[in-house]
Amino acid sequence: MAILEIRHVSKFFGGLAANSDVSFDVPEGTVVGLIGPNGAGKTTLFNCITGYYPPSKGEIVFNGRRMNGLKPDKVCKLGMVRTWQKVRPLTNLSVLDNVMVGALCRTNSVNEARGIALGQLRIVRLQNKTNLLAGTLPIGERKRLEVARVLATKPKLLLLDEVMGGLNPAESEEIIQLILDTRREGITQMVIEHDMKAIMRLSDRIVVLNSGEKLAEGSPKEIIENSAVIEAYLGAEQ
Amino acid sequence: MMILIFISVIMGSSWNILGGFTGQYSVGHAAYFGVGAYTTMVLLQFKQVAPWIGIWAGAGAALVTALVIGSICFRLRGPYFVLASIAVAEIFRVSALNLKNLTNGAEGVLVTEIPPLMIGETMVTDWVSKVPFYYTSLAFALLIILVTWLVRISKLGYLFLAIREDQDAAHSLGINLTAYKNTALSISAVFTSLAGSVYAVYVGFIDPSTVLALDLSVQIVMICIIGGIGTILGPVIGALVLVPLSEALRSNLITDALIKAGIVNEESPVGAFLKEHLAHAHVLIYGILVVVVILFMPEGVLGFIKKLGARKAKAA
Repeated sequence: MAILEIRHVSKFFGGLAANSDVSFDVPEGTVVGLIGPNGAGKTTLFNCITGYYPPSKGEIVFNGRRMNGLKPDKVCKLGMVRTWQKVRPLTNLSVLDNVMVGALCRTNSVNEARGIALGQLRIVRLQNKTNLLAGTLPIGERKRLEVARVLATKPKLLLLDEVMGGLNPAESEEIIQLILDTRREGITQMVIEHDMKAIMRLSDRIVVLNSGEKLAEGSPKEIIENSAVIEAYLGAEQ
Repeated sequence: MMILIFISVIMGSSWNILGGFTGQYSVGHAAYFGVGAYTTMVLLQFKQVAPWIGIWAGAGAALVTALVIGSICFRLRGPYFVLASIAVAEIFRVSALNLKNLTNGAEGVLVTEIPPLMIGETMVTDWVSKVPFYYTSLAFALLIILVTWLVRISKLGYLFLAIREDQDAAHSLGINLTAYKNTALSISAVFTSLAGSVYAVYVGFIDPSTVLALDLSVQIVMICIIGGIGTILGPVIGALVLVPLSEALRSNLITDALIKAGIVNEESPVGAFLKEHLAHAHVLIYGILVVVVILFMPEGVLGFIKKLGARKAKAA
């Protein structure tokens, strides 16, 4: 069963096609990697899926429901939530408050939200930093905070936009474990990542975008061996 | 003067819910102040509606105004919202000047008689003295502080703060931006209008250049900036600092104090000069003081005190 279906989605900014005719499915319970060179339209696609931009053409179907034109808050309530490539902590709020804001998406009780938030912070191992201001955290912890915050909204589908960008290998490893644990809990994930080693390990399937178009789709092994993908990343052999 | 302080507390605290918590800096709160003041006064003077009823009509009018303005202006962000809020308040001021049938235009509305407040047969007050105004404004001031505190600890408060910190992030976490911004503005507008109504009945006279002026909007923001934006007690402190300060400057208490303290001789040229001119320069001095506070206490008096406390704790 596909939890998310992208059907012929195009997004134009003026005459520039950031995405053109992209179609693929995200099967429930899997991790789908979304890769491509810079400017391939990965983040634009995320923005279209989560309601920040309406797609110019095509359809986005989540859980059997057409999502076109829904605002991000509605999208989140329906169970699809994204993180940001450039992390967006609520700087002047405490780490705990940050995650509580996510939890309040599903509950009206501040106390219940606090409970959920503390649980999520334990999972991302920030339980000792709950009272610090989010703005004071180093980048690795900010990324984990961001993951805790979106997990607190109890999503069915998580869209992670370069959660490993700018992290050292040890920090990346923590995020990888976090993604695998989340997958084990049955939360579907779509991951944009530049770290090829990580994405190959994580993904059940990989979709490659290039210049806004879908270049290839398949298992990690198929992608590594795909000549078009190699060409897009490394250039053609003379 | 306590009444003016209380009214300032109400204005500042209600602005703080929108500006301090939700991060939407409205520099047009005079609109709601004026709507409250005018509704109450017009009903009282021309329709003989008692102010303790008119004040709620004013609050209702402000609520409707807020919802209309909010739905339009909250499409704008940051500085554009600020500009739009100023423009809206100016529209109200100019309208009040020109809708002479309703508002009496530039002549303003003067209250000639306030009906005594009766409960059953007993007269509670005849509004001749300042005492009933003192308690009314005090009650509203305490109420808004209570409301601010309740908002702060509730779900609403968390969502407001999230919107202040990062609108897009808040949006992605399931927060309906327009709905919650409008909620904040509504609470804010209702209490601002209550301040306007109390002020109007207390002073007994309003005109567009006092209750709908840009000066007033700025002053409301000032109360919060001086006291500390986004804190529960900030606007209270702001009002306690600003109102006495502006009154003292206006009535030239500073020169009197300097003379009394023997620092300046009343007969000397300096003393005579101060006595003659300082009162005229009260806006100038007020402005300079505000700049100094903003430069040296960017988080307001309350933030400054907190910082001092933290520094002391560190040293100890």
